[in-house]
Amino acid sequence: MDPAGVFATSFERDQALIRTRGQCVALVLLFVALVILPHVLGPRLVAISTNMLIMAVVVIGLQINMGYAGQINLGQAAFMGVGAYATGALAIKFNLPFWLSIPFGGCAAAVFGFIFGLSAVRIKGFYLALTTIAAQTLFHFLILNLPQSWFGGSNGLTLEPAQIFGFSFVSETSIYYLCLAVTAAMVFGAYGIVRSRHGRAFVAVCDDDVASGLMGINVVRTKATAFLIGAFYAGIGGGLWAYYVRFVAVDQFTLFHSIWFIAMVIVGGLGSITGALIGVFVIKAIQESFVTLGPSIVAQFPSLGGDVVFAMMNVFLGGIIAAFLIFEPRGLMHRWNILKRSYRLWPFPY
Amino acid sequence: MIDFVNYFINGALVGLLYALIAMGFVVIYRASKVFNFAQGELVVFGGFIVWWMVASLGLPLSIGIPLAFVAAALFGLLIERVFFSRLAGESVFAMVMVTIGLLILIRGLILVLFGPQVRSFPIIFPLQPVIIGEILIPRSLLIGGAITVIVGFGLSWFFNRTRAGLRMTAVAEDHQVALSMGISVKRSIAFAWILGAVLSTLGAIIFLSGKSLNFLASDIGLAALPVALLAGFEAIAGVLLAGLIVGIIQGLVTAYLDPIVGGAIGTVFPFIIMLLILFIRPTGMFGWKTIERV
Repeated sequence: MDPAGVFATSFERDQALIRTRGQCVALVLLFVALVILPHVLGPRLVAISTNMLIMAVVVIGLQINMGYAGQINLGQAAFMGVGAYATGALAIKFNLPFWLSIPFGGCAAAVFGFIFGLSAVRIKGFYLALTTIAAQTLFHFLILNLPQSWFGGSNGLTLEPAQIFGFSFVSETSIYYLCLAVTAAMVFGAYGIVRSRHGRAFVAVCDDDVASGLMGINVVRTKATAFLIGAFYAGIGGGLWAYYVRFVAVDQFTLFHSIWFIAMVIVGGLGSITGALIGVFVIKAIQESFVTLGPSIVAQFPSLGGDVVFAMMNVFLGGIIAAFLIFEPRGLMHRWNILKRSYRLWPFPY
Repeated sequence: MIDFVNYFINGALVGLLYALIAMGFVVIYRASKVFNFAQGELVVFGGFIVWWMVASLGLPLSIGIPLAFVAAALFGLLIERVFFSRLAGESVFAMVMVTIGLLILIRGLILVLFGPQVRSFPIIFPLQPVIIGEILIPRSLLIGGAITVIVGFGLSWFFNRTRAGLRMTAVAEDHQVALSMGISVKRSIAFAWILGAVLSTLGAIIFLSGKSLNFLASDIGLAALPVALLAGFEAIAGVLLAGLIVGIIQGLVTAYLDPIVGGAIGTVFPFIIMLLILFIRPTGMFGWKTIERV
């Protein structure tokens, strides 16, 4: 809700993404912070930030698919993998520049996702989630068994750095800026999608697919579109990943990765783009702090051993996911909204 | 020809093993309407409990295995107490997502308690294969197959013929309706998880007897998924038939198609079957057909 005294006087105002001057200032500050970040932080933190930006693109796709359209997707990592492999293959075989190969990689992932989304013609609910598990295994099988000259088989693909006008994105900082630019564009696009008629159709289908069908929404097409968009985002993220790591292998995209993406969406909050970003940040920050603090914890308690600390991370995060579902199924974003509402209404709660 | 019979019988027995693992899915679904993604992790956890009792503590098999079943039942009850008792009557979506959290959590728990090392699982069934003519049959799978058939029909009788079983069936149909009929959804879910954990431990014993065990063995949970789906999630005895079908097809595909196509077509084939079932008949062979008029 808007703070007191803010009224939309036109349709454009009502649909605006930035509604108050405060939000505008906050957005500019956030952007400035993100731009100067690589000059302030050390190389390791910049690498983590780049990783977060790439994941953010993938998880936003999952958020649109799962949070808005309500289609549980356990194959987001496979879709990301398709994007990464397609980008890599296009860059190596056809020498396409990155600003062409990444979008084409996204399109390849979108087609792959769309095929599985089409199964919504026959099935829904958790059965649909099962087809996405099948997508995951099929992806592995295809990559490992297609001719090695196509996708490198079990050897993976090794890429040249992304290049534009003779400048190549080799350093950690430059690839960070590339990811930042792409992620910013994708986030903006996601806000556009969810407030468009497609976004409203997603929410309607999520709430009740029978009722939305009666209202004239083409349910099957909407579900397939949700998969298309979600997989496109995953593919773009995969393309960025391919240029960031410059090595693509099958075991970077397992079912377990897909489950992590779902965990990020749940912790951040279903049905909110900002929630997806927060989820990525929180989960990734916890993972990385375990990785960073792990050696010092082991040094303190040598009897534990390094494996235990990493395993504890799984226990902790698994517990967090369950706790969120039990106590706050709508995620951190919902908590934040409650807080915001209460201070906006203060001191007159009604 | 003798090769064919060999592949056929071994495929059928592996299929029965899948059926036993799939029964864990089906039982939990049949008594709580929750689709358990953490099934593979439950199997591995059960396996580690047995390993701990028998190999690590050195208990004899006749004491260690019953104790392991008790421990598994307690673990199932613990899962229900901690996670699902708070979610009774809530949306099924939240419950299923909790099982995804459980997947990560149990895997971490296994690593914390038992470590990532590969352990050799105790030999529970004698290793020599049964030899009939020229047909070789692994003894663990043969005994396991017999146990699976007995357990399958027993559970099927329980869920379809007894009062307690029918009460749970009502929970699987609709939580709210079951609650309003005076059926305790919580108790049903607790029973489902206890039974699921015990069945998983049984599956682990048959699957792992004399093999090596580490946390990656949980892949069997996913491999059993197509079986549960082919049978339909509500059909317990049907799982046996579905397991036979999937196992035989997989065995023959591995034997005859792998040399042609190369790679692991045998492991992917069940998922191709699964996709086909989902497209042609999502309720499986024996699942309930819910009528939806749209």
